[in-house]
Amino acid sequence: MATPVSVLRLPKGPDPNSRGFDPNSPRFVALCRTSISTSAAEADAKELQREQRARSALRERFLRCLLTMTNKKVQFHMHEKVDVEATFGASDIDVLNFQVSDLHTPIGVQKEALIRCQDVISFTFDM
Amino acid sequence: MIYLTLPLSVFCPLSSWRSMAMRQTPLTCSGHTRPVVDLAFSGITPFGYFLISACKDGKPMLRQGDTGDWIGTFLGHKGAVWGATLNTDATKAATAAADFTAKVWDAVSGDEVLSLAHKHIVKSVNFTQDSNCLLTAGNDKLLRIYDLSQPEAPSQEIAGHSAAIKKALWCNNDKQILSAADDKTIRLWDRSSMQEVKMLTFETSVSSMEYMADGELLVITYGKTIAFYNALSLELIKTVEAPAPINSASLHPEKDFFVAGGEDFKLYKFDYSTKEELESYKGHFGPVHCVRFSPDGELYASGSEDGTLRLWQTAVGKTYGLWKCVLPGKSLFVSVYTCLVRTFHFQPV
Repeated sequence: MATPVSVLRLPKGPDPNSRGFDPNSPRFVALCRTSISTSAAEADAKELQREQRARSALRERFLRCLLTMTNKKVQFHMHEKVDVEATFGASDIDVLNFQVSDLHTPIGVQKEALIRCQDVISFTFDM
Repeated sequence: MIYLTLPLSVFCPLSSWRSMAMRQTPLTCSGHTRPVVDLAFSGITPFGYFLISACKDGKPMLRQGDTGDWIGTFLGHKGAVWGATLNTDATKAATAAADFTAKVWDAVSGDEVLSLAHKHIVKSVNFTQDSNCLLTAGNDKLLRIYDLSQPEAPSQEIAGHSAAIKKALWCNNDKQILSAADDKTIRLWDRSSMQEVKMLTFETSVSSMEYMADGELLVITYGKTIAFYNALSLELIKTVEAPAPINSASLHPEKDFFVAGGEDFKLYKFDYSTKEELESYKGHFGPVHCVRFSPDGELYASGSEDGTLRLWQTAVGKTYGLWKCVLPGKSLFVSVYTCLVRTFHFQPV
């Protein structure tokens, strides 16, 4: 009678909340080059510090912007000269989609919609 | 102290020990919501090896090759992904989709690096060994070569096939290209002259094609046949018949086994030299679309219509990845010791 081979555990499945590619994994830390050129390993520590401070400031500003936008009317300027207005709801964790309500489109008003962030060039709203 | 030596066979008859055959436990990787149509392994990197799966749900996934653990999902395609590949060191990925684009991705961060517009559904993508060029092919019947260092430059196009191309691969040290199309031909092209060098014609459409650089071998499947060709001369080496129509086959790196899967949902393992069917495994709930050996040959992965990927051991029972082997010797010792203590009232010294 054959015994089934035992396993330590099952393979881990996708995380429902993120697209993965953990930035803390050893491979990411070793291989991922940052987008700004001064962040090369050879750059001097002071430059790196200034850059990090700038990055944190920009990131914080962006996140605060998203928070302020909640439930406000926002105009989205998108590719192919598309301009739409909607009430901003929320963003997903990777900033891939924006959840909006009352999206005014040339073919009518969509009560609830998801806007794909990679299609958005810029957005404006009144604070 | 009285030491009694008794033959081992008193405590564990060798016959029952030998008959402790191990049954294959496939590891199921879930996550896709539609059929898995293509998969590819990277080479062996300092961080192990990796696996990418193409799925009709439009979301190709990257997994750790030896465990099947999900690493990330490449988001961006707007249609079914028909082909996926990784470069040797798994730093780049490329995908071919029904949204008329082929995309190149950073396989470490998951970011989309390049989107290459085509005129029809793209079915196949393949990197050169130096990862500098990408070969694409699909329903527009053209082979396209992109220089990834100059992505805005137009691609080089090779025409010739009279129907949609299913698969296109670099071969012969990236000096030549092999393509399989729905016009029931496989053609060999010279890269520099962009001319057709040889052609193989079949009675029926080829369902899959795998190229092995080491040994210059080509593994082709059509109908219930798995055929092995010399990749340079396109001379037939041998054919093997399977019990059911086969969609994909893969030869072990050491060329002693090959595995195949197809319409009857099963995975078959054959001996390459004797052509003998060694094993068959049930597990998938739908036709098997693709099967590939890992670069170290220790496991093979299969993708199915049922939306799952399964990992199978080459040597069933061996400790590898998530599979662990309970050594018969270890449990034998425990049972012998227990027997001795009970029977002879042994007290440990």
